Amino acid sequence: MIKIPTNILLVDDEKDFVEMLSLRLEEAGEKVTPAYDGKMCLDVLETEPIDVVVLDIKMPGMDGIQTLMKIKIMYPLVEVVLLTGHGTTETAIEGMKLGAFDYLLKPADFDDLQTILADAKKKKAAQDERIRQAEARRLLRRGGNI
Amino acid sequence: MEPELIRNIRLLLVDDEADFRGTLAKRLLKRGIAAHQAGQGEACLALLANHPMDVVVMDVKMPGMNGIDALHHIRERHTETEVILLTGHADTRDGVEGIKAGAFDYLTKPVEFDHLLSKIIQAYDKILGKKQKIEAVAYKARIEQQMIATERLAALGTLAAGVAHEINNPLAIIKEAAGYLSSLLQKRELTDMPRKAVFEKVLQKIETSVKRARIITHQLLGNVRKSESILAEVDVIQLVEETIQLVRREAEDKDIAVALQAADGLKPIWADPNQIRQILINLLSNAIQATPEEGRIAIQVESTDGGISIAVIDNGAGIPKENLEKIFEPFFSTKSPGEGTGLGLFVTREIVDKFGGTVEVVSRMGHGTQFTVQIPNRR
Ligand SMILES: Nc1ncnc2c1ncn2[C@@H]1O[C@H](COP(=O)(O)OP(=O)(O)OP(=O)(O)O)[C@@H](O)[C@H]1O
Ligand SMILES: [Mg+2]
Repeated sequence: MIKIPTNILLVDDEKDFVEMLSLRLEEAGEKVTPAYDGKMCLDVLETEPIDVVVLDIKMPGMDGIQTLMKIKIMYPLVEVVLLTGHGTTETAIEGMKLGAFDYLLKPADFDDLQTILADAKKKKAAQDERIRQAEARRLLRRGGNI
Repeated sequence: MEPELIRNIRLLLVDDEADFRGTLAKRLLKRGIAAHQAGQGEACLALLANHPMDVVVMDVKMPGMNGIDALHHIRERHTETEVILLTGHADTRDGVEGIKAGAFDYLTKPVEFDHLLSKIIQAYDKILGKKQKIEAVAYKARIEQQMIATERLAALGTLAAGVAHEINNPLAIIKEAAGYLSSLLQKRELTDMPRKAVFEKVLQKIETSVKRARIITHQLLGNVRKSESILAEVDVIQLVEETIQLVRREAEDKDIAVALQAADGLKPIWADPNQIRQILINLLSNAIQATPEEGRIAIQVESTDGGISIAVIDNGAGIPKENLEKIFEPFFSTKSPGEGTGLGLFVTREIVDKFGGTVEVVSRMGHGTQFTVQIPNRR
């Protein structure tokens, strides 16, 4: 069976971390786009079709929570998974309330990450599907009126 | 000076004239001082050897050892005793010499009683003052030491948490790098790679070590969560049962029976379930590690006034007395590096403190140990 890759946007100011995790995720069959701060993350979202953003909370400049809020306003269908040092668990929970899909403690277990990514993708796919159907119904209805 | 204080003065009269001593002793007794007596310098020293005195009133001119010689001895051996010398009318030189030798003061005979009494009281005052000063200094030193210890612990906690946080990032990189290489080794094109087994083994080592480091950083960071912990109605029994499940493998490996003894009708408490669980895991894994094969561990849960008490009791090795004070310090561990970081009890106490509870330990070498945690209901 051919795996359909998840389009992942990986955001962390630790470039080495982004590079290593990207290699690993790509090895596991995913497609990864890197970004090193909140602004770069939003720039990528503008041009690339992304399923899930993996977002570090602690970043200089626009931090993970601020970035998350912007994502949820501009691209509500994109799912966001937060990465946090243990000390910021509360921030992570705050993030969940703001619409993040889930969070992981750093250094995260790779299997856990994969499971969460798969679930997030499923949720997004289901939502995409509902929207497509609604769109189709709308088109059909309009067709009937003519 | 208060009459009760005067009564406390331990006084020795030394004079070769028995009549003089006797009269003086009688008058002193009327004022509440029961004086001891000695007729010679030698007798005075012999008495002092077994009966410490506050004040010695001593004639200088005595047959045998004179007052000045006796004074020298007293200064050497009984530093806390004050000496008042009595000199003959024409012998002020003796008095001056006495002062040089460390007498509190000297009076010339014939002595006016009230004058002598006030000198005795002054001497005693000096002793009290010295004692108080020594006590004050010791007290201050003790408090300062305690403060330093607490501050150091607090600073250490903050520092450790900061370090742990920073270390998590490179740790994550190492982890992903090793994980990536491991996944590459699984690839078909590398099936026949030379020395592949060695690579796998080494990568495995890296990954398990990262896991170990991660447990440490998470323990350290676990207790610096901000104020906002989750509060929920916690069914302690259920939590204990869950925790027993978590450590079941370790216990089964050593054939240790873990028994839960719960009182009937326990009410749920309001607390942070994650933190209660962390306390239970720490105490329980310590108990398992301290208990020999086929040992027994009991967990007793009871309601208390406005809270709950959880006791973890093992019949393991026990904790040596000299360690009892140290076990709650961060990084104190008697276990080998891979097995213990010495943070379990430190974190436990931090959490219990935050709840406003207490944690107590009772231990007998060779018999076992009981840790009791009391947590008040937060409502
Ligand atoms: N039930 C017990 N019986 C005997 N000794 C104990 C018991 N619990 C704790 N100790 C002693 O107290 C020390 C400190 O315990 P603590 O839980 O803080 O650290 P640790 O168990 O050594 O390491 P860690 O919990 O971080 O893995 C232990 O090393 C051990 O010597
Ligand atoms: Mg321990």
